[in-house]
Amino acid sequence: MSTGINSEKVLEVKGLSKQYKKGVYASQGVTFDVHKGEIFALIGPNGAGKTTTIRMISTLLKATEGDAIVDGHSILTEPDKVRKAITYLPDEAGAYKSMTGIAYLEFMAGIYSDNKEQIKEYVQRASEISELGERLKDKIGTYSRGMIRKLLLARAMMPKPALAILDEPTSGLDIINALDIRRMIKKLAAQGMSFLLSSHNMLEIEFVSDRVGIIAKGHLLEVGTAEELKEKYQTKNLEEVFEKVVTR
Amino acid sequence: MKFVNLYKKELREMITPTTILILVLMYVGMTMMGSFMGDAVDKTIKDSSKIVICDQDNTEFTKSVIELMKKPAGGDSENEVKLVDIQSEDYASELDRLDISDVVIIPKGFTDEVEQGKTAGFIYVDKLTSLSTMANMSTGSSMAKNLIEISVTSALYGKKVAAGQLTTDEIKQLEVPVEITEKTVVSKNTEDIASQMVVSLKTMENMFLPIIVFLLIVYSSQMVLGAVSTEKIDKTLETLLSAPVSRMAVLSSKMLAAGTVAALYAVVMMFSMGNLRNAVPTGDNNYEEQLKALGLTLSGADYIFIGMQMFVSILIALAVALVLGVLAKDAKSGQSLLLPIQMMSMVPYMLSMFVDIRTLDPLPIRFLIYAIPFTHTFMSSENLMFGHWGLYWAGLAYQLVLLVVCMGFAIHVFTSDKIFTLSLGNGKKKKGGLFGKKNVIDESDQ
Repeated sequence: MSTGINSEKVLEVKGLSKQYKKGVYASQGVTFDVHKGEIFALIGPNGAGKTTTIRMISTLLKATEGDAIVDGHSILTEPDKVRKAITYLPDEAGAYKSMTGIAYLEFMAGIYSDNKEQIKEYVQRASEISELGERLKDKIGTYSRGMIRKLLLARAMMPKPALAILDEPTSGLDIINALDIRRMIKKLAAQGMSFLLSSHNMLEIEFVSDRVGIIAKGHLLEVGTAEELKEKYQTKNLEEVFEKVVTR
Repeated sequence: MKFVNLYKKELREMITPTTILILVLMYVGMTMMGSFMGDAVDKTIKDSSKIVICDQDNTEFTKSVIELMKKPAGGDSENEVKLVDIQSEDYASELDRLDISDVVIIPKGFTDEVEQGKTAGFIYVDKLTSLSTMANMSTGSSMAKNLIEISVTSALYGKKVAAGQLTTDEIKQLEVPVEITEKTVVSKNTEDIASQMVVSLKTMENMFLPIIVFLLIVYSSQMVLGAVSTEKIDKTLETLLSAPVSRMAVLSSKMLAAGTVAALYAVVMMFSMGNLRNAVPTGDNNYEEQLKALGLTLSGADYIFIGMQMFVSILIALAVALVLGVLAKDAKSGQSLLLPIQMMSMVPYMLSMFVDIRTLDPLPIRFLIYAIPFTHTFMSSENLMFGHWGLYWAGLAYQLVLLVVCMGFAIHVFTSDKIFTLSLGNGKKKKGGLFGKKNVIDESDQ
């Protein structure tokens, strides 16, 4: 449980829907909120609508119904301001292989700020978060999957966003790298950063998140802490809760 | 058995629907080009039996020469001889007036010169309208030059040999019985130079410009297609587009970077090819002056006009490549998607080398080739040299309209959800995974 949570809402999702064709919804009427310093996790099976919901909040896809307010800005009417308030780490994302780690961080810092001092500060912070040390001077093409994920996570954290959106942050990583990243997320949340995660990994979610939203068939079916949900469904773990919710 | 299994697996991976599409397109494309070129060869063969003569001497001897032209000795075929009257030495106007492309002029006094044992002279005027290979194959009138020479030699042998002894002058006359003055007409200009010489001199230049255009179109589109497809596949595009930067800035930076590298290539290639051309001696500096007088050299302004069409072509290619890059599912499909652009530049490139596209028959085929935007760039240098300004401007206007359409579509794709939802073979509905329902899809949650 993150200790930095307060009542201030960083994200308010209100009836968010995405319709690709008439009557065909990728997500429908999704409503939840994320507080400052909170780690909120969306869990669901493949094709449940997690990524679509996350992409709408990240302003990558346009919502067909509903709205989401990020740090006081609507994704529909103020997408530019929303993009300044968030960072997004896509599932299985890569980085520019011909760049060195440090050049990549400098490039991305330049996207988030025009101020040289601030860029320097961002890069410094990202270098520390990534824990990649001297390897930052090497080309990304030589990095392992875990190193790339750490670099990308550091990139997502460096501008200290109001909300960091991480899609499957540890997918495909070995246990050690996955644990490192989970600890990193918890540490930053404790410092007041808010997170919206998506994952298939129930153990990870139970360990890292403050609250969980279970999404299936495009609908958000349950929201609560892992303890609340386990109690409600009389189960020992979140995995069993998930099974009961999505098959009911 | 293991080998057969491995071989089958490799084949299955290599022979994809895209591979089959490429093969079909190549077959259809090459067959179509062969057909166009075949039509051009047919036309040339037909033209080779048409001889246009202006008999200003009008004697029994010249009449017999013309009769020989109609049915050459030892040949089964008959030539169509058209007699015309050239009234002035303004050959450009005369050819236009008579609506002919070449003519053999037998001047007054030709027979007298033959009879007096002098080398008789005649004139061959040829109007060049294109520098393509097929457009400059031998015509009937160029064949007539040889027939005149044979006729005169034959007449001399008949007369002189029958008379008994040959003098030294007569032997010399038999060796060089006629002297041909060849003139070439381009638009309104006439120069004393053989049309075949003009074509030979221009061949190098005629080759290198289309090569540059072809390479630039293919190379620049490959860069943008690769950049977009790689970013989409690696999901670095999602990272960028969720950052505080406008999509138009991301789009235009990609296009501009590809355009800059393409321009760099263009400049280096122009200079390299220029050096290559200069290294080949023309033998006679006067030729350069004659080409200039015919309007067959490109001025600085001409290069700007060509550059304009080249630039617009590259932008069209970049816009199309951008959309194709969005369609790519993986690196392999990304490369395959380049095929439409390669074919669209290959067809006019090859055609412009061999045939005069302006005269392609039938008309729908000509307009089909004109519909390919890159065609106009491949034709640009000829259009300028031969003064086909109407065609140049119409081509540029068409390219600009197409550019607006392609760019508009590319911007629409890039600034809408399509950048993430569009991909080849994505038309089928996903069934929502293990727990999914048919009416709920997540096109992006893959």
